[in-house]
Amino acid sequence: MSLEFSEKTKKKIEEIIARYPQKEAALLPVLHVTQQEFGFISAVQEKMVAQILGIKPIRVRELVTFYTMLSRESLGKYHIQVCTNLSCHLLGADNFVDYLVEKLGIEPGETTPDKKFTLSKVECLGACERAPCMMINFNYYGEMDPKKVDEILDGLK
Amino acid sequence: MIKIFIDEQQVEVEEGMTVLKAAERAGIHIPHLCYHPAFPPEGSCRMCLVEIEGFPKLELACSTVVKEDMKISIKSARVVEARKAVLEFLLAEHPLDCPICDKAGDCKLQDYYDEYGLFESKFSETKEKREKKLKIGKTLILDQERCILCTRCVRFLKEVTKTQELGVFHRGIDAEVNIYEGAAVLNNYTGNLAQICPVGAITDEDFRFKTRSWFLKEGESICPLCSRGCNILIEYHPGFPRFEVPRRAYRIKARENPEVNGFWVCDRGKYGYSYLEEGRADKIILNKIEGKDVLTWENISEYLGEKIKRVSSAKKTSGIALVLHTWLSNEELFLIHKIFRKGLKVKKIFFADLPQGEADEYLLTSETSPNRRGAQEIGFDIKAVNLDALAKGTDFLLAFGPFLSGLFSLKALKEVLSKVKRKVLISSYLNEVNSLFDIVIPAALIAEKEGSLTNVDGVIQSFKPALEPPGESLPEWKVLADLGKELGTDSKLFEDLNSPGAILGEMGKEIPFFKKK
Amino acid sequence: MKEKVLTEHFGLESLYKIDVYQKQGGYRATEKALKKMKPAEILEEVKKANLRGRGGAGFPAGVKWSFVPETDKPKYLCVNADEGEPGTFKDRYIMSHNPHMLLEGIIITSFCVGISAAFIYIRGEYEAIALRLEQAISEAYEKGFLGKNILESGFDLDVYVHRGAGAYICGEETALLESLEGKRGNPRLKPPFPASVGLWQCPTVINNVETISNISHIILNGAEWFVKQGLPKDGGTRIFGVSGMVKNPGIYELPLGTSLKDIIFKHAGGMKEGKKLKAVIPGGMSAPILTADEVDIKMDFDSLVEANSMLGSAAIIVIDDKTSILDVLKVVAKFYSHESCGQCTPCRIGNSWINKIVKRIAEGKGKKEDLDSILRLASNIEGNTLCPLGDAAAMPIVSITKKFRKELESKL
Repeated sequence: MSLEFSEKTKKKIEEIIARYPQKEAALLPVLHVTQQEFGFISAVQEKMVAQILGIKPIRVRELVTFYTMLSRESLGKYHIQVCTNLSCHLLGADNFVDYLVEKLGIEPGETTPDKKFTLSKVECLGACERAPCMMINFNYYGEMDPKKVDEILDGLK
Repeated sequence: MIKIFIDEQQVEVEEGMTVLKAAERAGIHIPHLCYHPAFPPEGSCRMCLVEIEGFPKLELACSTVVKEDMKISIKSARVVEARKAVLEFLLAEHPLDCPICDKAGDCKLQDYYDEYGLFESKFSETKEKREKKLKIGKTLILDQERCILCTRCVRFLKEVTKTQELGVFHRGIDAEVNIYEGAAVLNNYTGNLAQICPVGAITDEDFRFKTRSWFLKEGESICPLCSRGCNILIEYHPGFPRFEVPRRAYRIKARENPEVNGFWVCDRGKYGYSYLEEGRADKIILNKIEGKDVLTWENISEYLGEKIKRVSSAKKTSGIALVLHTWLSNEELFLIHKIFRKGLKVKKIFFADLPQGEADEYLLTSETSPNRRGAQEIGFDIKAVNLDALAKGTDFLLAFGPFLSGLFSLKALKEVLSKVKRKVLISSYLNEVNSLFDIVIPAALIAEKEGSLTNVDGVIQSFKPALEPPGESLPEWKVLADLGKELGTDSKLFEDLNSPGAILGEMGKEIPFFKKK
Repeated sequence: MKEKVLTEHFGLESLYKIDVYQKQGGYRATEKALKKMKPAEILEEVKKANLRGRGGAGFPAGVKWSFVPETDKPKYLCVNADEGEPGTFKDRYIMSHNPHMLLEGIIITSFCVGISAAFIYIRGEYEAIALRLEQAISEAYEKGFLGKNILESGFDLDVYVHRGAGAYICGEETALLESLEGKRGNPRLKPPFPASVGLWQCPTVINNVETISNISHIILNGAEWFVKQGLPKDGGTRIFGVSGMVKNPGIYELPLGTSLKDIIFKHAGGMKEGKKLKAVIPGGMSAPILTADEVDIKMDFDSLVEANSMLGSAAIIVIDDKTSILDVLKVVAKFYSHESCGQCTPCRIGNSWINKIVKRIAEGKGKKEDLDSILRLASNIEGNTLCPLGDAAAMPIVSITKKFRKELESKL
């Protein structure tokens, strides 16, 4: 893994910084592209981001540990986030999680040994009308049932 | 000025003030934990909620600004209920390890529980487990379980030192204060953290488990370790030396003075207090003295007066030399000026101080003594000691302070001083050079006497004794005032100059800088 | 005549493209506002329209704008697209189906208040929608509706999309500002209010997506027309999001004051096969729960307040009789404990404490005194926290515990 941002990301970061009257405001969007590039944000990435924005790494850590979408550990190629909030719960989110646990052989919060899947239980994703719903990376899937999830997961390379 | 009512008590306060400050001015304490006067209100602890007529909800005393005729209650049932609720929440997740907590007796959470809590614990869940002994700085220990997340420490490092070594990680019940990747709190003001932590979360190994805070008394003083003149509190064991405690002074705390040091003291001032204890001279030493065998200061001052008079009349004043330093107070330097410079026209005056140190960009100055500015304002030319010039034709040397030994080798001093007929030293410390003087008079330190100092910015600050001077130690102003009387240059005047206050008054008449503003 | 306003053209394919939007009359409101109206006239119109905030608090938008002081400092607009209130998904629909309607609202609002930079703070999970918004923004720049000297009016505006990263609290307006500034989403003390001291200490207007999306309609059709679509003190329609155990979950744009019963049983097709209504959360998770007996109620601010609940984000979660109320309580308690920013004492520790009790009950280790403890703790949170999250947590927890006490007691 390279310990520098790619040229493309560097350019993107410059663009982001230019939007704000104060550099620090770019922190969250820059963390998004950092996570996109490296897959996670550990101390190394925190220090890279801090340097670019001219802030202390501790400020970055404060954010990385606050926002749930920022991951300090490497995630699987496909991050499955299952909503377990109320509307999804009513329509069987718990059973759905159980099904995934069995299918993938991992508990929520874990990654499969082949690094293909990470399973997470999350709060409301804002797709309550499609309960039970989940996200795989940034794609939404609704009205989940075992058959549907089999099709979706089997289709992922 | 506007009037407000706090639980029916009418109080006149300045406009624009917060309820908490206004109450404080009126001598009413509103409980608070996260609020610290050095920072803008944070509003997170929720301890200072008060009831204000016309407001549907309880409001924060720390951030609500007073208005004419505002009716505030800090004791209503609703307020007390809310305060108890906040305390209950804090204590639910608090380890309650007060018996082994260094902060016990000095802890706001403990005090408020005593005042408002005293309820049964209804928390029967499992408390969060966190780090109990994180080393976060040179001498600082963080106990995350005791932390109440007031973030005073985080804000101090962000706003005062701007070094940002501490942050808040995670959120909700998992939120915790921590350092980054083991990088310690490293700046010249770390000692303030233990002081501003309202609970036992940050403790200081310099103090931790050395004593219990309730054994200590505090005295106000001024830090003499640089020329800033930070206002301090010296916490000492009043039983010393009768009780079996190894020392008097246990801790230095910053004392608020917006004009000089705000709320803070640097680490040199905070931890460099061993000078109060170590190697102190507490007895008059008579190495060589003719015709007298009673050892009281009264006899000695008479004796010295005679000797000085003899030298000055026989040889004019070129036979007299002085070695001074700038730990002497304004009053002491003024007496020296009066007696020796003006009265006896002594010209051989040198200063023996420690070499300059390194300043930081905040409070600490490069000067290693507290009153260089005072000496300058009195009109002294601060000349370093030249041993040859000092000894040449000198029959009587009056030296102050222990610093000669740091500046010159004992051999060199011995050689030079052997040429001087009579030598008297006034010093607070036992020191190898003491043996070279006929008489050594132990001197009180700034913490042990009364007087005033002029700081680097020209602020004149008076101080009173915080501690008892050890043994026979005398404040230099007393030594000098007595000598002034003996020498009789203006004995009527010296009769009146019997206190530092009186001396400062006289200074003001003679030197406009010292005139009371 | 009451009709669909915001969702009228949602059925159209590619409405999110500027050409399609313009064919439906899109950007005519912008032209009217920038060319024919003065900012003060726009403000007057919005005030008269009685457009109340759609995010949850219901504060009148025009009044909010009028709090912005005259100053030399830059002013900012933040569009709150954080949409994290469980049960709420209406803004997602607006932004994905009709991003230009939102942009028009942003342009007119900014012109009215004198703003030259607007940020759409969108929840991080809505990445695809953020991309769609960015596309719409670049189309608007191309057509001259954004950028310098818009429609030769001398008015400049830049719009940026700023993605959150997973924190419910950032939907609270001052936490949103902190988050936008690159900090933890810790709410700020109020006062000062964002209208005077907001983003980077500058005056800032913060409005919800749906609120801003109404602006172009007010400008085109006038305040009077807008008020007629709703209630006199509460103009316009409302997008109700229905989810849970109904046949047809989704969004329903209806006049304010439509009965909850009708929304569930007529518009959303009634309960799913074989399910009976047990309870409804009428305004997003923070709204106190209503029992099946209480659903014959008008969905507007005042009627719900009268029923000790609230309209909130108009997100209706329908709970069926097979669902254990303890499960509902568990989800609610866990959510607020998880989403507390941790800054203030009652919210940080109170919500965690309640969550610990509820979890213990769910594990079959409930004690007789637990329900009273939950009520006591919730009332100690309510009104004592730094931001509204404390109340938002306490209200549903108290209402569930009180209204379903018998059922909960049976689990102890």
